[in-house]
Amino acid sequence: MDQMLEFARGPLFRFSILFMILGLLRHLILTIIAITKGIRSAGDKNINYKNLFIDTLGWILPFKKMSERMLFSITSFLFHIGVILTPLFLFSHNQLWKRGLGFSLPSMNQSIANVLTIVTIIAIYALIIARASSKDSRAISRLQDFLLPVIISIPFITGYLASHMQINPFTYKATMLLHVMSSNFIFILIPITKLSHIVLLPTTQFIAEVGWHFPADSGKNVATALNKENVPI
Amino acid sequence: MTQKKSRYNYYTEDFDLSNRPERFLRAFAAILQHTNYGYVLDTYIRTSTKCSRCATTCPVFQSTGDYHHIPCYRSELLFKIYRRYFTFSGLLKGRLTNAFKLTDEYLDELADAVYQCTACRRCKSACPMGIDHGLVTHLARWALSEIDIIPKALLVATREQLEGKTKNTSAIPVPALKDTCEFLEEELMDIFHLPAKFPFDVEGAEYVFFPAVSDYLLEPDTLMGNAAVMHVTNGSWTIGTGFFDGINYGLFYSDRMLDRIVSNVVQETIRLKGKKILIGECGHASRSAKFFVPTFCGGDKAPPVVNIMEYTHKCLKDGTLKLIPDSIKERVTYHDPCNIARSGWIINQPREILEAICSDFVDMSPMGKNNYCCGGGGGTVSIDEIRQFRTGIGGKTKADQIKKTGAKYLVAPCANCKKQLAEVCEDHGLEDVEVVGLHDLIIKSMDLTGFTVETEEEEVDNGSDA
Repeated sequence: MDQMLEFARGPLFRFSILFMILGLLRHLILTIIAITKGIRSAGDKNINYKNLFIDTLGWILPFKKMSERMLFSITSFLFHIGVILTPLFLFSHNQLWKRGLGFSLPSMNQSIANVLTIVTIIAIYALIIARASSKDSRAISRLQDFLLPVIISIPFITGYLASHMQINPFTYKATMLLHVMSSNFIFILIPITKLSHIVLLPTTQFIAEVGWHFPADSGKNVATALNKENVPI
Repeated sequence: MTQKKSRYNYYTEDFDLSNRPERFLRAFAAILQHTNYGYVLDTYIRTSTKCSRCATTCPVFQSTGDYHHIPCYRSELLFKIYRRYFTFSGLLKGRLTNAFKLTDEYLDELADAVYQCTACRRCKSACPMGIDHGLVTHLARWALSEIDIIPKALLVATREQLEGKTKNTSAIPVPALKDTCEFLEEELMDIFHLPAKFPFDVEGAEYVFFPAVSDYLLEPDTLMGNAAVMHVTNGSWTIGTGFFDGINYGLFYSDRMLDRIVSNVVQETIRLKGKKILIGECGHASRSAKFFVPTFCGGDKAPPVVNIMEYTHKCLKDGTLKLIPDSIKERVTYHDPCNIARSGWIINQPREILEAICSDFVDMSPMGKNNYCCGGGGGTVSIDEIRQFRTGIGGKTKADQIKKTGAKYLVAPCANCKKQLAEVCEDHGLEDVEVVGLHDLIIKSMDLTGFTVETEEEEVDNGSDA
């Protein structure tokens, strides 16, 4: 068990983090290249960057957007707050960052961390229930849409249990192993699932704009490619 | 002539049924190769979270509650094809497993789905991932059009506009156009004593005018309003007899056609040595020209595009156009055509004009960038056989909005919205509501002091000229 935990916390953790970072970097770089190429090939290069920037910011800090579908939006927002802040600023994680990466972030108060963790777990299951309970949401959902939140909840549940041994029915080491392994699994999933929106979200408004900026000769080139240049309509 | 039962909700011309999936993929591949859509789809297939937030913004889904009408569901139909046939993992999966395969039935579902979307793009503002379902619909329709799945109404009109004798979607011959305009000039004289003209083929005019050509048949008041404003503001404008139709169904089904139509508009402007393109009261014609003239016709070098409402608003602001306050006593409301409002381009200009002339102007809620589509967007208004869907489902939310305002005049500065809203009002028991253009009301409210002439004098003038 000790060896497995060491492996999970050591090489496997480093591998998954590296996999995540490289994967996300690849997405980001490819998308930026795509946006640049798209604008360069566009017949009309005038783009209202200011509006796009405001729209992007409006979704990164979606306070204004929360008035629509309020319950869902607030739940989703709380989920995101918890899922971003808790792992980054937890005191015990900071010790990990210090040991493994040589620097640490400011630590949050343990009781705030406890509340955030509980809120995150509740939000995750509320979102799953919301998705599963509506016929329409079920119809547009794929398997990953149900599985990902469940997987994401595991490190939160195990993390809470590990720091509250008095209510934990499992041994500390078993809990930690599950905690670390599920986290590693999530790191690997991030670049290969919809979780890649972590880096792609700030690009989506720009990419949609690029989509509407067609290359000047796109129509003619497609006609040529399909041998339809002189074909009557 | 009776139409035989169509495969789809709408009629199409007969098309080749062999090898459709393969031909569709070939067309899709060609489109992806020569456009920027591939970049967009790459991002969308990675970020689409299926949160269903878009569902609550879609007027079609709100009416039917059928998940097939959720924007995300519809877009996923195309994403699935893209993922399977144009990404590495999809191709690998296709090799290794019994993965999804594009079939005729799947294409049929796609073909029905994309014409049940009005391409109003309201859902974009609700998508946390910024997915522009209107763009996806636009792309899917283009790819389908390359295997000849096009609503007949759109196809026939575009064929006449680009390859027919009359060069316009309503097949109006030039002599008939001139007759109509002469008649409108007479009406302007009889009703308003205003010697406004519809100038044809004037070289070097500042504005070359391209209304939705159907206005010449259906919207005399709008056109008279346009001419009256141009007359009193001393606007230099002309109508080209070579090409005079602002309608662009290419926006609704094919970028190839979009390109060809805006190129015709620009060519006519250049032929007449005009400086700017002036589009009449029409949402999609305005957007096609404003955003795609620069795209296909030389970027910054292309002639600037101005909508007639922008022109009128500018004249009102600089004082060249004088309007009489409170001249419209009845309650008036304004419908934002999606194609000019969604981007924030034309929202306040018409409202400022209306507030200058109406004593009882009320807005619908929501409005502006977040407005509801009339239900006939994306070219669906031209498809008569789906009227029940358009007015009963697509236009239901709009009907409720209109009812709530209690307005007598519903101003809809768009040829498509006008036709659709008139039908919506008819089908929802709103017979008292009159659907009008903005300039229909402007002409009733213009301060014509110093511009009018007595009819007899005019005749004397004409006599002396002759």
